[in-house]
Amino acid sequence: MPKLKKKSKRTAPAPAPAAAPAAATPVRLARVAKGKKPQYFSDPAIDKLLSMTLTLMEELSVTRDRLDTVERLLASKKLLRRAEIEGWKPDPKAEAERLAARGRYVDRMMRAMHVELEEIAGRGMPKSEEEVVAAVES
Amino acid sequence: MPAFKAHAMQPSTLLDEQARQDFVGALRAHLSGRLMPGAYKVYETRVEPAFRARHGRAPVDQDEIRKFMTQDSFYQFWSAMQRRSQELLWESVIDPTERELPELLARSKTLQKSLEGAGKRAKDNRRGTLRLDPTLEIPRYHRAADIHLQPGGYHTEFTADDVSAGVVYDKGINLYMGGALGPENNLMGDTLLAYIREKHPARKPKRILDIGCAIGNSTVVWARAFPQARVHGIDVGAPVLRYAHARAEALGVTIDFSQQNAESTDFADGSFDLIVSHIVLHETSKSALPRILGECRRLLAPGGLMLHLEIPRGRTVIEKFMHNWESYNNNETFARYMTGIDLKAEAMKGGFPADDVLMDEFIPKLDVAQMNYTEHFFWKILAAHR
Repeated sequence: MPKLKKKSKRTAPAPAPAAAPAAATPVRLARVAKGKKPQYFSDPAIDKLLSMTLTLMEELSVTRDRLDTVERLLASKKLLRRAEIEGWKPDPKAEAERLAARGRYVDRMMRAMHVELEEIAGRGMPKSEEEVVAAVES
Repeated sequence: MPAFKAHAMQPSTLLDEQARQDFVGALRAHLSGRLMPGAYKVYETRVEPAFRARHGRAPVDQDEIRKFMTQDSFYQFWSAMQRRSQELLWESVIDPTERELPELLARSKTLQKSLEGAGKRAKDNRRGTLRLDPTLEIPRYHRAADIHLQPGGYHTEFTADDVSAGVVYDKGINLYMGGALGPENNLMGDTLLAYIREKHPARKPKRILDIGCAIGNSTVVWARAFPQARVHGIDVGAPVLRYAHARAEALGVTIDFSQQNAESTDFADGSFDLIVSHIVLHETSKSALPRILGECRRLLAPGGLMLHLEIPRGRTVIEKFMHNWESYNNNETFARYMTGIDLKAEAMKGGFPADDVLMDEFIPKLDVAQMNYTEHFFWKILAAHR
């Protein structure tokens, strides 16, 4: 079997017949470069935040491109004219659903602010790490 | 701007993958073209005056500027975004590469296999070759940090017979320059070729060596320009060389690639009548640089010519500082020292007599879209003959 012979060149010991084929595991490439990353702002949190903002900016651009693709395809297939999309007005039911969905979206985006508020006032938050540790030490 | 030319060794892109690459292009065009000039403005209007107010004089070097500029909010934001855009650039290319890697590896092997039957071909129509050396020590200046933030650099192998570093590099450098490198990333090769045609029109090299060739994008330019020449490309990274070989075969260009350190190769004395490199020297090290130039001298036949294309490092102190953004933020660690290095003196350390070395500047009649830290773009060329 010439095929097996070729393979055994690379995998040193005789492969166990029951073993799953190694090729099934996809190769993962690195996403982080080796080297010292500079800090740009006095607080490293700002660096992270700006990095995340640009990723968000990218994903929004990707989404707009995708939506544009769908709209153009619909128009080319004469299923929908782009003017129809621009001129569309939601009916009251759709308006209410969109209002609620928009509200939930803003809530999610503002989570960091709400976490801070909860730490100040809500749900009897512990005042310190020691308090939490004490709770498990007895 | 001519579009990047797809070939057999590049992955396809899904809709969102393409959109990410397109976004990176738009973001970088804005950061380089619209915001980068603002860094000069900020320097003139508030950073330099602030320095003068403190010290009673203008800054004398880029390090003095750095202390003040890195405290400026506009510069901080531009710089942080420029850095992130570079990370996003690689990510946008790595995603499709990783997804299609099994097919790319298979295609690379097919292109090599067709090479195995090349013996039957006529001698003047031979295929290129690939010679790897798994025992070659990867230089420290490659291992310490990934150049240009490309994760894994040019040498890391993520799987057997890996080509991924080359796949990523090819598309990545095209995005980096906003497509200005041309459809086959041929700008640097074209530039040096235009130089030799202008300054040495009579030369018809028969044996050409491209050092630090990576994916062979410039090597291909030389092989096409001098079809009668035997063209070699060397690099330390195996995955980029496997890719270079497969890419050249896919493009139908005959090149002999080998994995070698340019500081010490296995070619015989006087093997070449033309040795070239394309923005490679500033990616090496203080000790490697004169050794590479010395090795070039050994490899040149009598009358042979060596040409190293380098990027400008700025004329004024603020230009020098801006050019070195890449050094401090994009893992071009050695580039900061290149600002103060006299390349002619380095060539002399490598054994070239002063009269045989020329430090030249060349403004090619080519369209460079990216401003690349300066308004007046010119290439530096270290030229020497044996």
